[in-house]
Amino acid sequence: MDPASTPLGKLLLDEITPVVMVLSTPLVEEACLKNGLSLVEMLSPFCVFNNIDVPVRTASDQPYRIQKFKLRLFYASDIRHPNLEVAKERLKQVITRAGEKDDLYSEPPQTSNLLSSSESEIQPSWFEFFNKELVRTMSFSDHEAFDHPVACLLVVSSKDEQPINRFVDLFNTNKLPSLLNDGAMDPKILKHYLLVHDYQDSDQEKAAKILTDMRSTFGLHDCQLLCINSSDHEMVERQDNPWAPYKSGDSPSQRLGCFLNVDDYNEIKDLLQDLSSKHIIPYMEQKIRALNQEVSATRKGFRNQIKNLWWRKGKEDVADSPAGPMYTFSSIESQIRVLGDYAFMLRDYELALSNYRLISTDYKLDKAWKRYAGIQEMMGLTFFMLDQSRKEAEYCMENAFNTYLKIGSSGQQNATRCGLWWVEMLKARDQHKDAAVVYFRICDEEPLHSAVMLEQASYCYLLSKPPMLRKFGFHLVLSGDQYKKSDQIKHAIRTYRTAVSVFEGTTWGHIKDHVHFHIGEWYAILGMYELAVKHMLEVLACTHQSKTMQELFLKDFLETVQKTGKTFEVLKLQLPKLNISSLKVAFEDHRTYASPVAASVRECLWRSLEEDMIPSLPTARTNWLELQSKLVSKYRESNVCVVGEAVKVDIEFKNPLQIPISISSVSLLCDLSAISDELNSDALSSTVGPQNDDGSSNLTTNRDMSSENFSFSSSEVDFSLGGGETTLVQLMVTPKVEGILQISGVRWKLSGSVVGLHKFDSNMKKITKGRRKAKPPCDNLKFIVIKSLPKLEGSIHSLPEKAYAGDLRHLMLALRNPSEFTVQNLKMKISHPRFLNIGSHGNLKTEFPSCLEKKMASEQSGVHANSNNLSQTVFLFPKETLIQGEMPLLWPLWLRAAVPGHISLYISVYYEMGDISSVMRYRTLRMHYNLQVLPSLDVSFQVSPCPSRLQEFLVRMDVINRTSSESFHVHQLSAVGHQWEISLLQPVEAIFPSESLMAGQALTCFFRLKSCRKSLTSTDKVSTLSPLLGSDVSLRPEGSNEPLFDISCSPLADFHLCERLHQKMSHQGDPNAVDFILISQPLKDNITPGIADPPHLFSHHACHCSTSSTSPISWLVDGPRTLFHDFSTSLREINLKMVIYNSSEAVASICINTFDSTSTSGHLSEGTADLSTYPSGDQTGWHDASVVNNIKVTSDVHVGAQVGKSLSLESVPPFIWSGASSTRVQLEPMSATEIPLQICVFSPGIYDLSNYVLQWSLLSSDDSGNQEGKSQHSGTCQGYPYYLSVLQSA
Amino acid sequence: MIVCVAVVGHQNNPLYIQSFTEADDALKLHHMVHCSLDVVDERVNNPKKSGPTLNETFLGLLYPTENYKVYGYLTNTKVKFIVVTTDLDVRDADVRNFFRRFHAAYVDAVSNPFHVPGKKITSRAFAERVSTIVKSFGLSSAG
Repeated sequence: MDPASTPLGKLLLDEITPVVMVLSTPLVEEACLKNGLSLVEMLSPFCVFNNIDVPVRTASDQPYRIQKFKLRLFYASDIRHPNLEVAKERLKQVITRAGEKDDLYSEPPQTSNLLSSSESEIQPSWFEFFNKELVRTMSFSDHEAFDHPVACLLVVSSKDEQPINRFVDLFNTNKLPSLLNDGAMDPKILKHYLLVHDYQDSDQEKAAKILTDMRSTFGLHDCQLLCINSSDHEMVERQDNPWAPYKSGDSPSQRLGCFLNVDDYNEIKDLLQDLSSKHIIPYMEQKIRALNQEVSATRKGFRNQIKNLWWRKGKEDVADSPAGPMYTFSSIESQIRVLGDYAFMLRDYELALSNYRLISTDYKLDKAWKRYAGIQEMMGLTFFMLDQSRKEAEYCMENAFNTYLKIGSSGQQNATRCGLWWVEMLKARDQHKDAAVVYFRICDEEPLHSAVMLEQASYCYLLSKPPMLRKFGFHLVLSGDQYKKSDQIKHAIRTYRTAVSVFEGTTWGHIKDHVHFHIGEWYAILGMYELAVKHMLEVLACTHQSKTMQELFLKDFLETVQKTGKTFEVLKLQLPKLNISSLKVAFEDHRTYASPVAASVRECLWRSLEEDMIPSLPTARTNWLELQSKLVSKYRESNVCVVGEAVKVDIEFKNPLQIPISISSVSLLCDLSAISDELNSDALSSTVGPQNDDGSSNLTTNRDMSSENFSFSSSEVDFSLGGGETTLVQLMVTPKVEGILQISGVRWKLSGSVVGLHKFDSNMKKITKGRRKAKPPCDNLKFIVIKSLPKLEGSIHSLPEKAYAGDLRHLMLALRNPSEFTVQNLKMKISHPRFLNIGSHGNLKTEFPSCLEKKMASEQSGVHANSNNLSQTVFLFPKETLIQGEMPLLWPLWLRAAVPGHISLYISVYYEMGDISSVMRYRTLRMHYNLQVLPSLDVSFQVSPCPSRLQEFLVRMDVINRTSSESFHVHQLSAVGHQWEISLLQPVEAIFPSESLMAGQALTCFFRLKSCRKSLTSTDKVSTLSPLLGSDVSLRPEGSNEPLFDISCSPLADFHLCERLHQKMSHQGDPNAVDFILISQPLKDNITPGIADPPHLFSHHACHCSTSSTSPISWLVDGPRTLFHDFSTSLREINLKMVIYNSSEAVASICINTFDSTSTSGHLSEGTADLSTYPSGDQTGWHDASVVNNIKVTSDVHVGAQVGKSLSLESVPPFIWSGASSTRVQLEPMSATEIPLQICVFSPGIYDLSNYVLQWSLLSSDDSGNQEGKSQHSGTCQGYPYYLSVLQSA
Repeated sequence: MIVCVAVVGHQNNPLYIQSFTEADDALKLHHMVHCSLDVVDERVNNPKKSGPTLNETFLGLLYPTENYKVYGYLTNTKVKFIVVTTDLDVRDADVRNFFRRFHAAYVDAVSNPFHVPGKKITSRAFAERVSTIVKSFGLSSAG
């Protein structure tokens, strides 16, 4: 790469060029000012020669040609150190002006775009200009020679009096720049005399005359005439004004050079070309050769070097001043420097380099650090221009830079210039990263200056390969801070905005927040509040920041918003956070809910409950041509809601900050497109499809949120969220006209000033009530609003939340219909008929519990339980039931807390519209209640057959009060079924000494149960299902004459049927099973006085208590117990009678075997008396379970063994069975028979007549199928002990 | 003295960043750590510059600024550890040792079954352990 074509090369060719000092008289300036230009400005455009083609011969003999050349013209007064303050001011203006041009409203660039574009596109263009200006502030230093004027142009106007004298006066020493005066440079410089003639003033003759004088005075070649302003009248129009780039300031460029025509133009051009090619370049060549000769003579060669070294050594103790010793122009050091610089300017870089090298060590030895640094700088540049030894070039630049810095503040400016050149050098070699470091080093304490440098550094990082984006961002931020410090807010914003793209998408929250917050802050300073707010929004949800920072952010944000003076609508406002997954929509179409709790119940529960109550969908079709059917089918595609009924949306708001925020006016964003009245059926039929977009052309859209909006009303919620709090908010929208309602989002107001919007994204929606999962989700928040329908409201009065098990209560269901339309055809279904039972309208007014009390027999038939409300069937309200107006329909319900636990009761009421024309034919009202049932009394019964009586049983009742505090009166015990009679075994006082059952108390009491059934008839079979007559026994103390409760009464009987269904056991249909109902009441004094507690009644049902625990066969031996006989005369025959009863439903074949034995020990009788509890070794622990088979089998074996044993032991029996030893009978079901038995007794004594065995088997097979395994088909029973005392009669 | 330690995930997301200065310069340190990731990237992508051994986890001095020195360490899972110190003459061996202990602490912290990989390390035990290591670093270099 050609170094000259790099930016640095161009810069050097531009900046390190010969300087021409211009001295002019005021009249010359006056003439030039007619064109709006000063003399230098007028000449400057023509000082750049792109194709001058001058042969140059410097030190070597080989000439070369220079193509491009440039002169720099300066007024003598400008040839001095620029005033630092002025320079700074100018730089600041440059920056400010550049800042004004920035478009702060445009989108900030993205890093990806930045990376793909070239350097010149990325960087602001004014950087180059700024750098040039910065370099210029360091010009005309005395330690370097390239700014020293090479020539002097003396300009006098032809109007001047005594022009020759004016020329002499101009080059008066006291007006000359200090450089010449203080001896830093040779005052004998090339002079060129120019006479300026203004055509407008006078004719050319005078000028020509003066020129002749001049030529005679100053020499022929050094004098020239320049005629300007030749176009005297018409303005010269130029397409591209050559002066425009040179003229700073804002005068209109058209006026520049308006009196200069083409002739003038060419004349100036020729003049300067002549000046440079014929005067300046030859002069410089000449000077180079002369100086080179001198340098060679004094410094080159071995001898000179030794001499020089020795001489320098002698000067070692010079004061170490930063500027070093003073070198005058005549000193050899200065001359070498001049030689080098001239050679540089004439592109003889080798010569320049050798001279720089030569002088470098000298300056170093002299500790002339500034000059040394200057030389190093030039050496670096020369290396660069020679494009060799990059390392050395860099080393030189760094050395120069460091040396400048070393000499303190005075070197700072030079260091900056050196740094800029160095940077350019690195950039030219694509070492952007190193360049960035140098930029960073250039930064001084002046914030504006360093801001620009840092910004440039950041771009270097961006341009480096690979790009270092993070450093790019960091330096932009640093630069922005510096800009801010120097009040260049626009620049600060620009840098920060560029940095934003670096940090976007990363998780470096602190940095991001910082950047966004400051951009926002600065925009606010500039008054661009919209943009400020936009950026501040980014930092609002800063959970990772400290509390104070959060407060600051929020405060600033709100202040800014207030300053804008309007309310902002911000999409996706981060404060507070919306939990979209918590979004729940509850709406009522044909399903209505009595309470929000009911709405939250799973849909499938309701559907299974309502299954056989609501008409299935296909039956809803009435007629193909009817409009309604189409509507209905359309509604199947989308959600339906009803005019005037609210759609509720639950959504969760979370405050991510640690500080409280206040949220107000939270409401739903909705669209309700009303269906216009002229909507015809054709248009509607086209909208039947699932995506009914084409139908929307017929819809007129009403925008929401206006207060005079009639189409719907939405609720507004206000709340405040503490730090980190989460709140679930329910929002409602109530459509008021028919149409299509679309819920599109949520809107809220933060701290009363900022409106946040959140649109529900279509794919994020989740609807809990949605029936159709396959539907596209975007329809889930879309509702078809149909015209207003009656809607029942229902509640159950005085339903407790907690109840003890067994608690029986009378409740009232109230259904109201607020609308004026009637509803009809009501049906109701209850999920748990065991808990909740529907009464009849008749007992609406009855008083509880007295209605259950036993009445006279004549009245009893009135309130028999109706069996149609048995489990899981639909209760139909009477046909004539209409609910209308304010009068609620009251219907009695019975609650019985059946089992302990948490019970959810679901009640669904179906009703049809009285108005047939409405779109929706029916609706359901769903009610849901939770009931907690606490354990109260545990009742268990054990029934065992009475051994002494046929058809009689002993009932053992165990009652435990499981409550913690309640006490109960046990009121009555009823055995259900008309064949049973129950009676007390002991007086009540013996059972309940304290008349009540205290908390935790357990009791056992015994009852006698008698079956009064004689035989199985067909009517009996029916009666087991139908209402339950039964026998009751009062357990109240004798004195109290409280009436007994009628268990055949409606609620008790109904609940009993339910209980029977629930307590199904193995003995299903067993006619011998008995059901018990224990009715108790809580102790009155436990009830808190003052509270009108409804009277309580507890009923405990124990169903299917089996009575046939032994075998289906029961028998009784009957006969005399005590006999007197005179055995001396004869033996005695005794007749006995055995009554056998078959309690099974099958024909039984029974065989009675008697065997004679003398055993009187209780051994056998023990085994036969209580077979079911026989203590056999391997059966402990489970022998009293109801599985009868095993017990029987083992006891049979046992018996057999014992029989055998006893037979072998005994030889002479005290009595013998004298009848048939084996009798076989067939026994019809549920029937009894008598078998005569006879024994012979030989001596007085007490005999145990238990040595017989009953072998039975069930013959009929009709229910053997379902009784398999439940009861056995055959068995053997040992005889009961029957003690017979035979006494010797006297 | 170590002023800041940071754990940066393999997608250059900060997993843990903790400063140990009283001054409120968290932002500056964040920036510094963030910037040094550029250098880490550079070192990793140009292995010839990163030293003789390929398996070396210690990346050495990343980023000398006027007042700080930034050292880096790269684990096998491309998780970066960055340490910012104010000691201007630190021996590499000390820093290596520090990083080794820090790495062990990190491994223990992410082995926690409740830690979600790629998410910020919130373990208090880790924070305590790190601060102990940081303190001991100051002592060992002082001694």
